[in-house]
Amino acid sequence: MSLLDPLPGDAVPGDQVPGDAIVAGDAASSAGQSQRKLARKENWRLIRRRPSFIIGVLIVSIWVICALFGSLISPFDPLNYRTGLNMSPHWSHLFGTDKGGRDVLSRVIAGARDVLKIAPIAAVLGVIGGVILGMFMGYLRGWFDTVASRIVESFLSLPVVLLGLLAVTTLGNSNWVVIGVVSTLFVPIVARTVRSAVLAETELDYVASAKLRGESTPFIMFREILPNVTGPIIVELTVRIGYAVFTVATLSFLGAGPPPPSPDWGSQVSDNYNSIVSGYWWSTFFPAMAIASLVVATNLIADSVQSVMEGS
Amino acid sequence: MGKFVLKRLASMVVTLWMIATIVFMIVNVLPGDVGRKVLGPTANANDVAALNAKLGTDKPLLEQYFRSLKNLATFDFGDSFQTGGRVMDLLWPALGRSAKLAILAFIITIPISIGAGIFAARRQDKLADRVVVNAGLGSSSLPEFVTASVLLAVFAVKWKIGSVYANVPAGTSLFGQLEYLLLPAMAMVVSYFGYIARMTRAGVITALHADYTRTATLKGLSSGQVMRRHVVRNAMAPTITVISVQIGYLFGGIIGVEKVFNYAGLGTMMLNAVGKKDIPVLQTAVLMVGIIYMISTLLADLLIAALNPRVRLERGS
Repeated sequence: MSLLDPLPGDAVPGDQVPGDAIVAGDAASSAGQSQRKLARKENWRLIRRRPSFIIGVLIVSIWVICALFGSLISPFDPLNYRTGLNMSPHWSHLFGTDKGGRDVLSRVIAGARDVLKIAPIAAVLGVIGGVILGMFMGYLRGWFDTVASRIVESFLSLPVVLLGLLAVTTLGNSNWVVIGVVSTLFVPIVARTVRSAVLAETELDYVASAKLRGESTPFIMFREILPNVTGPIIVELTVRIGYAVFTVATLSFLGAGPPPPSPDWGSQVSDNYNSIVSGYWWSTFFPAMAIASLVVATNLIADSVQSVMEGS
Repeated sequence: MGKFVLKRLASMVVTLWMIATIVFMIVNVLPGDVGRKVLGPTANANDVAALNAKLGTDKPLLEQYFRSLKNLATFDFGDSFQTGGRVMDLLWPALGRSAKLAILAFIITIPISIGAGIFAARRQDKLADRVVVNAGLGSSSLPEFVTASVLLAVFAVKWKIGSVYANVPAGTSLFGQLEYLLLPAMAMVVSYFGYIARMTRAGVITALHADYTRTATLKGLSSGQVMRRHVVRNAMAPTITVISVQIGYLFGGIIGVEKVFNYAGLGTMMLNAVGKKDIPVLQTAVLMVGIIYMISTLLADLLIAALNPRVRLERGS
């Protein structure tokens, strides 16, 4: 689907310890675990050293601070303060004022809150759902996998934004509806990635030996296989957070995001883009740049995590 | 080859049925009263009942579901809630306008991004490569409406290049239409450039390191011949797949672009339908987008099979 999605069958260095896991013994499994921990530490060290990761984290941190302490930083009340309409950027109003006479800088700061609440929750829920579905598809195979794969494929043939628009229209705007819709639409995408990672794992000896030991299916899936596919799952999670920001911003611009009076960036662009024609570019430009900086930053983080995890 | 096409067509029918089911489920997920939703909470109960009877939304869900499948099979999607006209009469012209914009966007995107991808691959890990890779990552992660509104502010309003409204007046010459469509198309170019360039780059790098490329070089072909006949031809398969997926997905982003430039395409039509709760129009528009995706990925598979005999054999058998 996108370049950021891991390709099926990609080896995940540092996360596979089949050699140790074959031996079903406490000593061997703890050795496997500590090896895994070491590999994880090493990956984390490599990720931290990438400049694109540092830049991404810095930009995201700025927005997180705005979301948490917005009311302390913002110069004016984002919702109720009113002054002259469409005033151009000036010392008293750094980003100018919008067509309702509200301070654009204060609204951009306050606009970080909803998207930073909705996008990560939606991404995490979508990844949890996708991991569960993908585990069952890849491990059980058979008719369940065939049917689920067809359903997943059908979901993938429609743009997420479009289905989201349709769903939010029928369900009505609210933060929880947006979270529910976006996370549900992410489930098939994540499931496809997890399925292919799990398919590769089930061929390995440690799964066969666990079966011979008579372990239950849930135990094999979630205690044996899951720890060995954390690499693709972490990559998928970082990529999904980026997509969630993108999707929530777009839905919000189309009128299917957080309900009014939320000063969400997408709704700010939607409220003000018509006044660009009259020369009032700032009330659209600054929220648009806020969206751009946040999506680019989350993608920088995702790209660094992916490059290290996939060993390129 | 014929067998391969038949198999693909059969699986398209199954996917289409599933898409129709997904859309039906989303629209009917709430046990709501459609007539009430359309007319609003203050409407007269008799009017609501009359509308429901007219739309068939007073029937049991299962019956409505089968009717919607029948609509799809006969390609007759009923009447719009707002205008009362046939849904397809509304959607065809809108789809045509969106297609015009999309085609222009891809005519610009494809040569630029494939060229940039090959250029970057041949300078792997040098500065030029880094620039292409990072520009691609940045540009493809931006929502289309963000790029569109910045282009609108900078080009159309500040520098007076291109039109603020993308609707082309009737009777404009083909070349004259560019003035209206160029900026919205550029907003889409920015979004699609990144994926296609990065995929081309990855494909070319793989092909450059392949044995057949070394053989071609060793047998004395010029580097231009090696690139044209061996590297690019082999590297194109993933690029073609990405382009076809982008064509299918472009309708997610074109809605935002059309809104920013007030362009009367399929996206604007859908947003109007959202505002008026015109479910038949919305539902049909989403189905059409699904059909476009399936056709474009089918064509991509055929093109890949035509380029590579191995794929043809594998999938035909």
